[in-house]
Amino acid sequence: MPESTAAGMPPASRELSRKAAIVGVGETDYHLDYQAARAKPPGYELPTPESLASSAFERALADSGLRREDIDGLSTSFIYGGPSAGEMAQHLGVGPRHLIEGGGIMAGPLPIACAAIAEGKCDTVAMVYAAASRAIGRQYGGRTYDGDGAPSSYYYYHPWGWSSQAAHWAFIWSWYQAAYGATEADLGAVAVQLRKNAQANSNAVMQAPLSIEDYLASRYIVRPLHLFDLCLVNDGAVCLIVRRADMAREMPHAPVLVAGWGEAKAKGDKLNNLVRERLRPQLQAAGDQAFQMAGLSLPDVQHFEGYDASTIHLINQLEGHGFVKPGAGLEFCKSGEMAIGGALPVNTEGGMLSASYMHGWNHVAEITRQLRHEAGPRQIEGVEVSMFSLAQTDQSHPILFARGA
Amino acid sequence: MAQRRPDRTRGPEHDAFWAWCDKGELRLQGCATCRQLSWPPVKACEHCGGAQLSWEPMSGRGKVVSWCAFERDYYNGTLPIPWDTILVSLEEGPLFVSNPEGFSWPQIKPDMPVTVAFIDCEDAAGPFRLPVFAPA
Repeated sequence: MPESTAAGMPPASRELSRKAAIVGVGETDYHLDYQAARAKPPGYELPTPESLASSAFERALADSGLRREDIDGLSTSFIYGGPSAGEMAQHLGVGPRHLIEGGGIMAGPLPIACAAIAEGKCDTVAMVYAAASRAIGRQYGGRTYDGDGAPSSYYYYHPWGWSSQAAHWAFIWSWYQAAYGATEADLGAVAVQLRKNAQANSNAVMQAPLSIEDYLASRYIVRPLHLFDLCLVNDGAVCLIVRRADMAREMPHAPVLVAGWGEAKAKGDKLNNLVRERLRPQLQAAGDQAFQMAGLSLPDVQHFEGYDASTIHLINQLEGHGFVKPGAGLEFCKSGEMAIGGALPVNTEGGMLSASYMHGWNHVAEITRQLRHEAGPRQIEGVEVSMFSLAQTDQSHPILFARGA
Repeated sequence: MAQRRPDRTRGPEHDAFWAWCDKGELRLQGCATCRQLSWPPVKACEHCGGAQLSWEPMSGRGKVVSWCAFERDYYNGTLPIPWDTILVSLEEGPLFVSNPEGFSWPQIKPDMPVTVAFIDCEDAAGPFRLPVFAPA
């Protein structure tokens, strides 16, 4: 039996910086799969976590140039259920000596894999993630969040008819509009920018042009948020192959080093922290940890990939991490600074809003392509450092990446 | 006529909150150690972890901090759409998710003063009184 570890993110430390690198990446066909899921042609079969993960794994393995025998670690992240890591190893035909079970959304699983490598538990980890959100008809509001383990803000307010992830972002957006005098068209600029980015990504789910007029005419989901303010719901998988840094040289692609990470969670007063602070205390604290660990600072970041569950929450992260002043994020977007060629290109593949809802894994896949300098029509010239930011309703988990030699 | 509402969360500390509402009182848990209030109900203080909690009466006064209206029906027809919700900053500090009473989306203004009211509701567990907020 291979040894396995439980989930739990390792604290940021200089010793763990740049000890592991992403050497392989694979994603499923988001665009084609979404079209098939909508059209349901004869013989269409709903995807399963196994089928999605296998497809991403085969692509990542081929991309890395490694052999199956080289995979001595397996990390699994099935958001809505899936096989055990042991079962998945059999399914993939690999024989890992180390298993990491119970992963989830980015960022946690990646630092855990890096720490396992640094501790010598394995040298080359295949990290598979899959979410069949659409296939299982996942709802993101109503009575979805009953049960233990969910943050209270997701389930407590049913008697007042307040639920859903969108409701959190809607409260932030009403507050932000009043606080900074922003308009719906200002926020629409974020959706429009990410759609433009997605149009340079042939695997993006949504590639049709989107104008401000389209945005303003779209229906509200939770007013003041429109349809295009909220992330997609689609099926897919991502596989990252992460290898000990000194074994990651002279491979087919430039290694993408995991340089730093951080973690901060709000304790009490969560709604105030979310709506009026917009997670700034957590974003700052976790960001500081990641920068210290990586030996980098904010101006070193040339590319930002933020968890865009909604347009406004992406702005929260840009402001909270300090790339722009509080209240200045929408102007930053409107003036083109989030575009490729701008001051800080953001979610260059189209993010979860227009490319694919892969719980942050798609953002790290994009960082891998950008830092390899293989992002094709959307390549940021000469990019050396990228930042991924996960921000949920009460916590922040950033990761810094650097292009390796 | 009692309004039908989606089910409340139940449990000892939750039931205690609703029992106060049934008496027409808005009470939140105060901590004997750090003196801060926790909301929603907790088993231990959300700020310091203190276990000695007591139900403190609130003035019922507050200000609207934020608001949103559900255009998507997450409750399968239980509530009419659009459905207005507000976030109220209670005078004592905590933010309280609720509904506007006697006003709706076009009248909502940031920082507008509001005061608590209790309306008759029912869910699967039976009748209860729900704290909502009217213009002060």
